[in-house]
Amino acid sequence: MKNYVMGVDFGSTTTKTVILDLKGKMVAACVASKGSISAEGVQVSMDGALAEAGISRKEILRAVSTGYGRRMIDIADQSYTEITCHARGAVALFPQARLVIDIGGQDSKVIAVGGDGLVSQFAMNDRCAAGTGKFLEALARAVQVPLEEMGPMALAATEKLTISNMCATFAETEVISLLAEGQSKPSVLGAVHAAIASRTVGLVARVGMREPAVMTGGVAKNKAAVQFIEQALGAKLLLPPDPQIAGALGAALFALDEVTTPGAGVDEEDQADDTMLIARGCATKPCQKPKEVPLVGPMR
Amino acid sequence: MSIDAIYSAFERAAEQPLESAKAWKQTHGTRVVGSFPMHFPGELAHAAGCLPVILQENHEPITVGHGMIYPFYCGFTRSVVDQACKGDYDFLDAIMFGDHCVQVLGAADVVRAKLPNTRVHFYQLISSMSDPWSLGRARETFLNLKEGLEEMIGHPIDEEATHASIRLFNKNRQLLRKLYDLRRAGDARITAKQMQILVKSSMVMDKAAHNDLLGRLLAEIEKTKAISQRGMRVYLSGHFCQSPKIGVLDMIEECGGIVVDDDLYHGQRYISTDVDETGDPLDALAKWYLERNLKVPCPTRVDQNADWENYLLDAMERSRADGMIVLMAKFCEPHMYYYPEIKEAFEKRGVPHLLIETEHELNSFEGLRTRVETFLEVVKRQSAARRIAA
Ligand code: SF4
Repeated sequence: MKNYVMGVDFGSTTTKTVILDLKGKMVAACVASKGSISAEGVQVSMDGALAEAGISRKEILRAVSTGYGRRMIDIADQSYTEITCHARGAVALFPQARLVIDIGGQDSKVIAVGGDGLVSQFAMNDRCAAGTGKFLEALARAVQVPLEEMGPMALAATEKLTISNMCATFAETEVISLLAEGQSKPSVLGAVHAAIASRTVGLVARVGMREPAVMTGGVAKNKAAVQFIEQALGAKLLLPPDPQIAGALGAALFALDEVTTPGAGVDEEDQADDTMLIARGCATKPCQKPKEVPLVGPMR
Repeated sequence: MSIDAIYSAFERAAEQPLESAKAWKQTHGTRVVGSFPMHFPGELAHAAGCLPVILQENHEPITVGHGMIYPFYCGFTRSVVDQACKGDYDFLDAIMFGDHCVQVLGAADVVRAKLPNTRVHFYQLISSMSDPWSLGRARETFLNLKEGLEEMIGHPIDEEATHASIRLFNKNRQLLRKLYDLRRAGDARITAKQMQILVKSSMVMDKAAHNDLLGRLLAEIEKTKAISQRGMRVYLSGHFCQSPKIGVLDMIEECGGIVVDDDLYHGQRYISTDVDETGDPLDALAKWYLERNLKVPCPTRVDQNADWENYLLDAMERSRADGMIVLMAKFCEPHMYYYPEIKEAFEKRGVPHLLIETEHELNSFEGLRTRVETFLEVVKRQSAARRIAA
């Protein structure tokens, strides 16, 4: 029996998979990190989610892909962009959300969502890694601090320093100069996170600040990044239990719409399409994370 | 000649404009006059027995040109300067500049300095279009331009020859507009890339040869039945002096957009208006210069009676477009200054649009693809919701 739908978010550095049953309950979620655009990562993430759910691939009724590598996933019946899917996932988790700030490994996006859960406006950094996970990664290397330690360390900053360059390479030079001046690592890392925050404020300004705002993507797991962004925006951010899976959840919800809405899935007849699209905007109930299933799978 | 063969002929000229002009010069022995976009009346150069060629941004990385012009100039001016520095324009007999924006002036200075042996003619076109003296001043400028051409060829330009050139150029615009009409109505599938090739080649090819090819293309298109297409109808706006990169146009259509209309200079803007075929040719050209700004408003000109944002809203309605994609060349000041008014008008009217900033160095479209796809997903949902509500 095919009783499940799957959403796969093939990002630039990690792949996330979410499996829902046909009532919209999340039965598994798995994040796999295997480096840039890795087919192996996709496999690990999907297999991890299937194992967690205790089902086989044959039981997946429909799959929707998203993310940087969305067109490379063979099993997907449909694909949508990560902007559309993150908005959908975030609104499912927080129906009151009107703004989604998604900072991933390679790019960052700010998405305004309407009351119907549809994207109304968005802005995206599309040229360089400024203000993304890659920016943090490069500067963690420059400061010689493991990536996962840089957030806690930045929270211990005592001096308010500034990094003005948004280009990761130039910012690295600034970081090195600050360290050479004798500034402490925590303060330098504080400046790195403040730089991410000011970049995010710039993106938010392009769309217009709305509240409540949700933060998704891998960088939302970094407490310092969240705190600096909250300070810069002057607003509290809503944080999902696992912010990384919002896009995969959104994709899975689209897959669910397509199997639960009459007429959907009969490949793109105009009328069916229309009905389906309306349903996507508002018909599906927000998905609740089941208590017994860990949101993060074995491969992180 | 098959449709594919016809498009290939257009594409060769559009993609290698200088090579094709050089070949024309060799086989026909005519002078080649390079001009800057966007307001040069090619009819006068044609009547003087020359091949008018509108200079184009090329695909080459900008290298030596960087020594002559700042990186914060638009891609078109930087590319033109680079081509001049590399000697690409040495075969031209003359270059005619208009002063439609400050950046072009910077490029003109460099080109003049780099080509000391080439006749470089500068003409200053009035930018205020609705004053009582606008028509007279535009005529004066074109007279001045005509005199410059006459000085080069060594004899006056015949009035009847000018009328003949005007008729030939009008015919070219009419044929291209017919293709636009067919595409808008859904009677011909002409991709955004193909349309650009058609218009761009017209800017650099001999008009009679271009008309001949267009006639063949129309005959072939009329023989084939248009296939109905699925996708979101997209209106393209923006890009003045340079043609949008083919990769960007293809990407928009790969994402599920169908470009149905545009106001691009390498599009409608170039072919929008015909010149009067009777009376004094200079009067007719001056009138054409003022009228075309009302047909497709240009942000480099000032006209009380033209407003670009409302023109765009109406044009979108006419072409039944679902959304508009604005292609803005990085550092294009006239466009940057005007865009906020377009944004405000579109937001007020609830018409979806997406701004894409392009640049000469833009070669990776992946991030852009995500934005375009998302935009089309949004447009699709909105238009579906509207259709159902209706
Ligand atoms: S109008 Fe824009 S594209 Fe044309 S030369 Fe000026 S700045 Fe460049």
